[in-house]
Amino acid sequence: MSFPAFFFIVVSLVTFVAAQLILKRAMEFSATSGMSNRYFISRVVIGVFLMTISFFLTLGLLQRFDLSYLYPFQGLSVIFITVLAAAVLKERIGARLAIGALLITAGIVLVSMS
Amino acid sequence: MQNRPSGFGNPWLQLGLSIACVLVSELLLKRGATEVAEPQSGFSWTGVNGLASPLVWWAILLIIASFISWLYVLRYIPLSMAYPLSRVVDVLVPLGCWFFLAEHISGLRWCGISLVVTGLALVARPIAKMEERL
Repeated sequence: MSFPAFFFIVVSLVTFVAAQLILKRAMEFSATSGMSNRYFISRVVIGVFLMTISFFLTLGLLQRFDLSYLYPFQGLSVIFITVLAAAVLKERIGARLAIGALLITAGIVLVSMS
Repeated sequence: MQNRPSGFGNPWLQLGLSIACVLVSELLLKRGATEVAEPQSGFSWTGVNGLASPLVWWAILLIIASFISWLYVLRYIPLSMAYPLSRVVDVLVPLGCWFFLAEHISGLRWCGISLVVTGLALVARPIAKMEERL
């Protein structure tokens, strides 16, 4: 894999994962405080901006690589998001959920290798 | 998980809609990006030239629809459950190719699919317990 490919795959993954965490926090906040406030709107704008960056980088990568080649990196996002949901959002991750996330990631990698 | 509405507002139904939109949009994006690919151009790393394909615009509409459903899902379901479940799309794409397009699926790919399905079943168990408590 060339350096630009590695770089853009990592940036695409990081921006996607960060967007999910920010959007989750914003939607939790909206459940108690509504949507007409600066905190909610700013978080959604940041989340959408990060997802837009991730979208265009993925579009650039799809022009060069097969969808199946890019699958394993999408698989990694399951692990990152599950771990960061526990670390940042303080969600409780039981053993079943952790093993399930690991199996899903391993399965996506196998599907992409076949 | 908070008390949640039923019917069309059911977050599990919205999660299903979001997954269906992502499934179709991924296939449209791949076809659209391939149509207008300019791998020799450095600018094409940004992906912006992909907007020249109408298929990419259809995919964007579906992504917006899935995003609205996804925001709704995030309001009610923990991210650590909703996101792994949403990756069922990684099984549905190859299964759709096998079922509708009669494409061949290798043994290794079947192994991968069964691992994802087992993982999804494991993730679904804590959800069932949580639903029982509500």
